Amino acid sequence: MSKTQFRFLTLAALFLLVASPFYLNAFSMTLLNYIGVYGLVALGLVLLTGIGGMMSFGQAAFVGIGAYAGAWASALQGYSPWVGLMLAIVLSCSVALVLGAITLRLGGHFLALSTVAWGLSIFFLFGNLDGLGNYNGIANVPPISLGPLKLVASWQMFYLIWAIVLLALLASRNLLDSRSGRAMRALRGGNLLVESLGINAFFTRLATFVIAALFAGLSGWLYAHLNRFVSPAPFEVHVGIDYLMMAMVGGATELIGAFIGSALVTLTKNSIQDYLPMIAKGASGQLEIVVFSIVFIVLLQRWRGGLISISSHLLPSPHHDIDRTVTPLSRRPLPQPGEVLLTADQVERRFGGLVAVDKVSFTLNAGEILGLIGPNGAGKSTMFNLLTGALRPNSGRVVFQGRDITHAPQREIAKAGIARTFQHVKIRPKMTLLDNVLLGTHPRTTSGFFSGALRLDRAEEAQARAEALRQLQRVGLGDKPFELAGNLPLGNQRVLEIARALAADPVLLVLDEPAAGLRRQEKQALAELLQSLRSENLSILLVEHDMEFVMGLVDRIVVMNFGCKICEGLPLEVRQDAQVQDAYLGGLV
Amino acid sequence: MSSDIAAILAIDGIASGAIYVLIAIGFVLIFAVTRVIFVPFGDISAFTALTLAALETQRLPGTMGLVAMLAAMATLMQLTADIRASDLKAIPSTLFFYLVVPLVPVALMWFAAGSVMSMPVRMGLSLLLVLPIAPLLDRIVFRPIADASVLLLLTVSMALHFALVGLGLMFFGPEGVRTQPLTDASWEIAGMQVSLQTFLIVGSAVVFSTLLYAFFELTLTGKALRATAVNRTGARLVGIRPAYTGTMAYVLASILAGISGILISPVTTIFYDSGFLFGLRAFVGAIIGAMVNYPVTALGALLVGVLESFASFWSSAFKEVIVFSLLLPVLLWRSLSVGEVEDEAEE
Amino acid sequence: MKTSLRTLVAVAGTLLSGLPAHADITVGFVTALSGPGASIGIPYGKGIAAAFDYISSVSGEKIKLIQLDDGSDPSTAARNARKLVEEEKVDILIGTAQAPASIAMMAVSAELKVPMISVSPVVVPPTTDRWGVAVPQLPSLMFKAVTDRMVKDGIKTVGYIGFSDAWGDLVYSGAKAAEDRGEMKVVANERYARTDTSVTGQVLKIVAAKPDAIMNGGSATQGALPLLALTERGYKGKIYGTPALLNADFIRVGGKSAEGILVSAGPVIVAEQLPDSHFSKKPSMAFRASYQKVNGSETTDGFSAYSFDAWLIFVDSAKRAMAKAKPGTPEFRTVLKDEIFATKELAGVHAIYNFKPDSAYGVDERSLVLVRLTNGVWRYEP
Repeated sequence: MSKTQFRFLTLAALFLLVASPFYLNAFSMTLLNYIGVYGLVALGLVLLTGIGGMMSFGQAAFVGIGAYAGAWASALQGYSPWVGLMLAIVLSCSVALVLGAITLRLGGHFLALSTVAWGLSIFFLFGNLDGLGNYNGIANVPPISLGPLKLVASWQMFYLIWAIVLLALLASRNLLDSRSGRAMRALRGGNLLVESLGINAFFTRLATFVIAALFAGLSGWLYAHLNRFVSPAPFEVHVGIDYLMMAMVGGATELIGAFIGSALVTLTKNSIQDYLPMIAKGASGQLEIVVFSIVFIVLLQRWRGGLISISSHLLPSPHHDIDRTVTPLSRRPLPQPGEVLLTADQVERRFGGLVAVDKVSFTLNAGEILGLIGPNGAGKSTMFNLLTGALRPNSGRVVFQGRDITHAPQREIAKAGIARTFQHVKIRPKMTLLDNVLLGTHPRTTSGFFSGALRLDRAEEAQARAEALRQLQRVGLGDKPFELAGNLPLGNQRVLEIARALAADPVLLVLDEPAAGLRRQEKQALAELLQSLRSENLSILLVEHDMEFVMGLVDRIVVMNFGCKICEGLPLEVRQDAQVQDAYLGGLV
Repeated sequence: MSSDIAAILAIDGIASGAIYVLIAIGFVLIFAVTRVIFVPFGDISAFTALTLAALETQRLPGTMGLVAMLAAMATLMQLTADIRASDLKAIPSTLFFYLVVPLVPVALMWFAAGSVMSMPVRMGLSLLLVLPIAPLLDRIVFRPIADASVLLLLTVSMALHFALVGLGLMFFGPEGVRTQPLTDASWEIAGMQVSLQTFLIVGSAVVFSTLLYAFFELTLTGKALRATAVNRTGARLVGIRPAYTGTMAYVLASILAGISGILISPVTTIFYDSGFLFGLRAFVGAIIGAMVNYPVTALGALLVGVLESFASFWSSAFKEVIVFSLLLPVLLWRSLSVGEVEDEAEE
Repeated sequence: MKTSLRTLVAVAGTLLSGLPAHADITVGFVTALSGPGASIGIPYGKGIAAAFDYISSVSGEKIKLIQLDDGSDPSTAARNARKLVEEEKVDILIGTAQAPASIAMMAVSAELKVPMISVSPVVVPPTTDRWGVAVPQLPSLMFKAVTDRMVKDGIKTVGYIGFSDAWGDLVYSGAKAAEDRGEMKVVANERYARTDTSVTGQVLKIVAAKPDAIMNGGSATQGALPLLALTERGYKGKIYGTPALLNADFIRVGGKSAEGILVSAGPVIVAEQLPDSHFSKKPSMAFRASYQKVNGSETTDGFSAYSFDAWLIFVDSAKRAMAKAKPGTPEFRTVLKDEIFATKELAGVHAIYNFKPDSAYGVDERSLVLVRLTNGVWRYEP
């Protein structure tokens, strides 16, 4: 679908939505209200799960915090509901901050199960904290008022709910299309990738978690004033699981999936209630949940990506206008060629009894390509990880541009100007080439979550885009910037990784076996690219297995075997070295 | 708190903990072999208790209907798969394994219904009747998505739990049950009455965990299960069928869940939906054991039982809060001690 | 995809609004057929079925009854109430199994101006525009009947154990009320969840407080759990309870441990033991006959009887309202509400009802008798 068509359809849908009180009956408005309120929670879950790769069964607890904050402030303390809104936002965000700080370092299913645990704890707190009406809840929650107007009727609440929903949707969309949003979208690529881009993975996860909690809290506040009554039961873990189901069934990878899911779940439950009694008289109450669960399981068995995956071709292909005339992002000064850039000094790393890297020292000078080679198991990759901060050495020092980076975290090393690529390509297949490269510009830009969501970052974003496009052109991928990265052949994916690394404006480029798995022509193209980069005064460290590829390319070589450095020198010298010949295929070089 | 109260609480806690141990070990077993976090596992335990109670009052247990329904569904699915694959030779074995085998205990129950059975027979029959549920659910729900991510499997597992609770209500009704105790005897130890039932619970937990360990260490099937747990692809390459090991894991774990249900039913009232909270508490134990380590899992589950017991004395209203908040420090410690790990990147 | 959502909603909406074929008087009934409240919600449903069988028309006009399940969730209960009013245009709402869900329904009934009869004991906040009444004995009345008896039995201190839910809170407040009147002291307040496996800790603590008697704030089957634990710990003292324990499975599960417990109850529970002159005797016997006919089993609980009384109140008021307005109209709903609040000396199976606009409750001491569990049967203890 083209962008204009999509815009037209969006506008038409918006019009239908705004006009719905005029053609829908009262109960349909009620259902729409619930779809909006539930969808808001599911929207947070899409950001959290589909985008950020964290699963939470506990969102109902945040809805509860928002609802209780609203009900407590307005019904029990007599403040305006708007004070309740502030309280709902502050409380849900701060609880999320604390819980996130404790649990978000955990991966995958541990995180998911821990959310069940704190979800339950918070639920029991609602019932047992004095002053919250215990298990009977808080009744007589006043309606929200806009000046003299009290929002009581379904259609009045409808406009408030959907205004908030649309704002949240818009802000989320803007966010995902900004610097911080890209960091969120990178999270599912794993910590190693994210940190290597100079992104603080933990902070990004925490921020995503807080945003999801914020949406849940907002939904809770709306719920309190929609239902005008709050009690603990709707904030149980079971309901939290329902929210997650909405996001999954709708399609957790697209924002709109949240609302498709919440509409589907709400309407399915409603129609099951209507039609089931006609088929199974008497047992309908018990069967409702069974039928609903079966529908859910079958949907997920069929479409793992949720319903949105059937209709994703209807979404517009991502496309941006790129203004090439903007001033480019500022670059850091490159060191003088020949200057010592990186020094590894007696670096050692042990894994239990195994010494993977045994007191290895070498230096790398600015403007050169240094090859680090060795047979399988020589300790090259460990060395690579020690230099880039993915592993810490047990002893020894690594100095980069006069700064000791031995114990610096990965992202600090990335920010200092060492950009890396991966042996097993780590790109974000569902993001465009441009977005992948834009990830590289993260350390060079500064916009945060707020400016992203509110679109205050456009000037910087334009600069970053122009820069990313320049890097794509530099490596020869400039013709299709809006192609999805996953569609590229492996060779080009490696080149894309190099473009991403270049976008960070590195002083030193560290490549981990870039030739592995490439065909001959691809290798040749890669070698040409690296040579052209050297001619631009970029320094490169090449960790490689493929001798042939290295020999013609590099200025100097360091050879490792069994964790030790066995030789260092010009390619020709190294080729003659008996020890090296021994190490490599018993002398068959 | 006086020391004898502490002792009573500790014994009570160890008894509940022992039951959680059985369930928690089942969780870990299924997860290791199939990567499914089988949430409805607690439900299996509750269903065993409900079945036993029905037999005691000489009624037909609702489990019969449940098993028959699941067997029919699984058979249909497998037959469709066979026909699609034009593998007509497989049809007899499909009918045998998916229809006949699960229906054997149902038929037994049908004939035995109404007659007065001795307690061991009742227990054996209940256990037998519950065994097919988890493997059948595996066939119906999880096998079509065996290669999905852990998180998707977990979500489906949650949905399955909902379905089972609904079915439980349909087949067993809303009322709770409590079965006759295995024994009324109690022993006096250091001036305290400790019921024999408590010893039976703890003893069975120890015996069955040890048996499981022996099974893993000593039998070929056990080794195949372990191999699958370590590396699925590798196991397949050496000729171990994941579907087979999966079914084995579900059967083994169901035995544990069934035993836990039988042990717990004389001690407390069991409802059709009691399984979820048993399961959750066992989960806490399993998470302490990082879902891989059996001994630590067992210790964790025991710890949950004891903590629960003491928490109900200190502040009964906040008991669940205390028990589930226990996870937070454990998780915090785990996340700090693990440090920087590369987690599985997902796509 | 947004559009497809819209059309889905629109289609669903039109389908739904096209559905109801208008009967003359429409009653919307909500109860919990699933979820944690199902064990009392299902009896409520059976009670309403018996009532509908007993009387299914008013002044020659047929009554249409629509029943929905709320899954023990207040949000669903509220949504159901809206659905019944907005889609089915019901004239009156009756529901539901649990107090919070009933309060949620009452909020909707007041907003949409539809009378409501609650079948659970709700704590209705004071309001000027009252649209709902509650059938059950005011919780404080239920407990007062018990605590009065305790005073008579010479109890000075009481230990409380109850559910960690709305019902547990209510019963506790009843015990506290007696304390505030200076009648006794509540020396322990222990809670447990319906799904708990053990209450040893709670019971130890209560026994340690050495109360003269224990008040059981549980309900139905799982109300037996503390009794079993108390027996195990050798407790021999008196135990009192509330009507929520009147349940066949409570007796079965509680067994010997439950023997001798004294609870307040609606007279319907022991109808066959009542003298013929008692107000509840005749309606109770009629209720039992209808229940047996519709559900094929005997009634053993008090919950189904609340549904029955709610029906009697509705029919009684509707008779008078029919003379003033036409069912299905807003006027009728207003008149029906006014007539419900004008109910005078209506004999039901639980109580004699007198409603006034300033209160949601309309029963007095006559609605409670004390019964003791003796040999597995509730015995009337005048």
